[in-house]
Amino acid sequence: MKLIIGWLYPDLMSTYGDRGNILALKYRSQKRGIEVEIKKISLLEVAEQLKTVDLIFMGGAQDRQQEIVNRDLQKEKGKYLEKLIENKVPSLFVCGAYQFLGDYYLAADGTKIKGLRIFDFYTVNPGLKAKRLIGNIVVKPLIPSIHDKEIIGFENHGGRTYLANSHMAFAKVIKGFGNNGEDLTEGFRYKNIIGTYLHGPILPKNYFLTDYLIKIALEIKYQQDIKLPPLNNEIEERAREQILKNVL
Amino acid sequence: MKIFFAILLGKLTIFFSRLFNLGNGSTWPGHLAFLINRNFIEDILKKNFQKKIIIISGTNGKTTTVELIKFILGKKGIRVISNEEGANLLNGMASSIIKNCNFFGNFSQEVIVWETDEFNLPLIIKRISPDGVILLNLFRDQLDRYGEVNTIAHRWFNALKEIPNKTKIYLNGDDPQLMFLGKKLKKEKEIYFFGLDQSSMNEKEIPHDADSSFCPICGTKLIYNRIAYSHLGDFFCSRCRFKRETVENFKNKKICYPLSGLFMKYNTHAVILFLMSFFNIEFNFINKNLRLFRPKFGRQEKIKIGRKDGFIFLVKNPASFNQAIKTVIGKEKKEKIDYFLILNDRIPDGRDISWIWDVDFEKLSKAGRIYIAGDRSFEMALRLKYDLIEEKKLTIFNDLKSAINYLSQVRGKRKIYIFPNYSAMLELRKLLVGRKFL
Repeated sequence: MKLIIGWLYPDLMSTYGDRGNILALKYRSQKRGIEVEIKKISLLEVAEQLKTVDLIFMGGAQDRQQEIVNRDLQKEKGKYLEKLIENKVPSLFVCGAYQFLGDYYLAADGTKIKGLRIFDFYTVNPGLKAKRLIGNIVVKPLIPSIHDKEIIGFENHGGRTYLANSHMAFAKVIKGFGNNGEDLTEGFRYKNIIGTYLHGPILPKNYFLTDYLIKIALEIKYQQDIKLPPLNNEIEERAREQILKNVL
Repeated sequence: MKIFFAILLGKLTIFFSRLFNLGNGSTWPGHLAFLINRNFIEDILKKNFQKKIIIISGTNGKTTTVELIKFILGKKGIRVISNEEGANLLNGMASSIIKNCNFFGNFSQEVIVWETDEFNLPLIIKRISPDGVILLNLFRDQLDRYGEVNTIAHRWFNALKEIPNKTKIYLNGDDPQLMFLGKKLKKEKEIYFFGLDQSSMNEKEIPHDADSSFCPICGTKLIYNRIAYSHLGDFFCSRCRFKRETVENFKNKKICYPLSGLFMKYNTHAVILFLMSFFNIEFNFINKNLRLFRPKFGRQEKIKIGRKDGFIFLVKNPASFNQAIKTVIGKEKKEKIDYFLILNDRIPDGRDISWIWDVDFEKLSKAGRIYIAGDRSFEMALRLKYDLIEEKKLTIFNDLKSAINYLSQVRGKRKIYIFPNYSAMLELRKLLVGRKFL
């Protein structure tokens, strides 16, 4: 079996060690004999390339980089992305990438940046005087098949995201801020797309989420039930213990 | 009077902290002095207005650069006050003065060289209006504390705009953000660019720890003729023609670099350019003395663990970690190398350790043994595992003490390279040398 991972804007949207997500997907696939191809898709690549991918990842960045990417997404790639999401291709959008998918982003200086408007949520940055939402975060995922384990990460964002409907959340905040620090929602989920504020990076810290993405990517691609053979997760578990002990 | 009491209190603090072996007193005296007199630093400097003040900032290399300048000026008979133990906030600066001045606030040293972190630089140059500013580089570091690279560059520009025109500003011209900054300031300010010659730039592609590889003016991806490391190199923009201007790279000089590594070349060039243009010291004098310089305090510092010779490389961010690995591998081409990685996530380190995923650990695949300790030792182990380092090479400890006890009893004299982050380095030195230094 083979998995083609589309990594969107790796040179622009990769400020917070988000490359680790790709490494986790690759490691845990290859250990199970699944061939992996990483397709980097940035400004210079054509949008058609997106058609061939089985799984999408896009990370967070600084404001300046986000502006550049937003311009590019508004052209063609955004439309392709929307189609993939409708076709249930699993995708993970972290922080800045997550914010793009909504209606708009109201920047700290009051300018309104148009989002891709694929989903019904918006983000507001209350200004430079307001505190950024920073720190270790622990959430309970609302995805039924993996909801018995906490998801751990690190969040660092100025924008506050508000969902039109809290049932659209990816997870419920146990410790930390999540979407806005007010309503205990974290991230966003629709079909097989996940938008989240969790860096850390999120996938190495939560191997079961990594496995979940690999599994559904293969199921969609090959149209059959997939059962991934278990791996030895001792180091993964011990790393989780070290952080959970301090945060909870 | 306020100054007098502030100094008295500060000096008493130093006395008692030494008496009870609580440390070297490099932050508390200043902290207390500010409680008595909020303008302590301005008042003291006003009294000593004829002294030269130099400020050094940047993500990596501050402490070593301060030490180098201090060392060479010392050889010239010029005495320097500095914030020695990397205590680089205002209270550390004030403490360094309290340690050296008399009760009236006068000190005899001719020059002050202070390092300050990236975040506090604007605040500090506003308060003390320095005679020289050296900015070494700007990489991602402690994003949770300092904010993102672009934000910092912007704040730096606003601060530098306001300083007196006679202040000399030294910038790393191979860093696109700093080149941009210098170009904008050039009309009014006295700007000097340092950098490397193309022959030292051998990286093949822009690595993923680069932060500033897009044009600061128009946002187009920069084209690099040559890359030194991270986003440092000889670059230009194909769209708006922004480019690296001429930098002083000492191309035809044979320089005696005191430590290995590209980052050290940059620090050394900054130091030479500064000393030549600011103090009119001859190149040959500087160069001759460079080779006598001995590093300290975690910067390629030699330390004993049991029977093993250890070398400490402080690693705080992807750029410094990647460079440390490269330097060690370049040095020990033939031998199997043992490593000791220590990763903490305390406040001085930044609580966010996600940056370790931007370090290239594949390069450690030929390592002998890798020992790992620190608050987040297992996450570091996980990081190595996902870079396909064999698990059987790893020995993981929950705390530093047990790691050191273990290493002290390991047989074999193989060298060990130690990569701690900041609080881990302080802890390590405390356990091995006996004093924490802060």
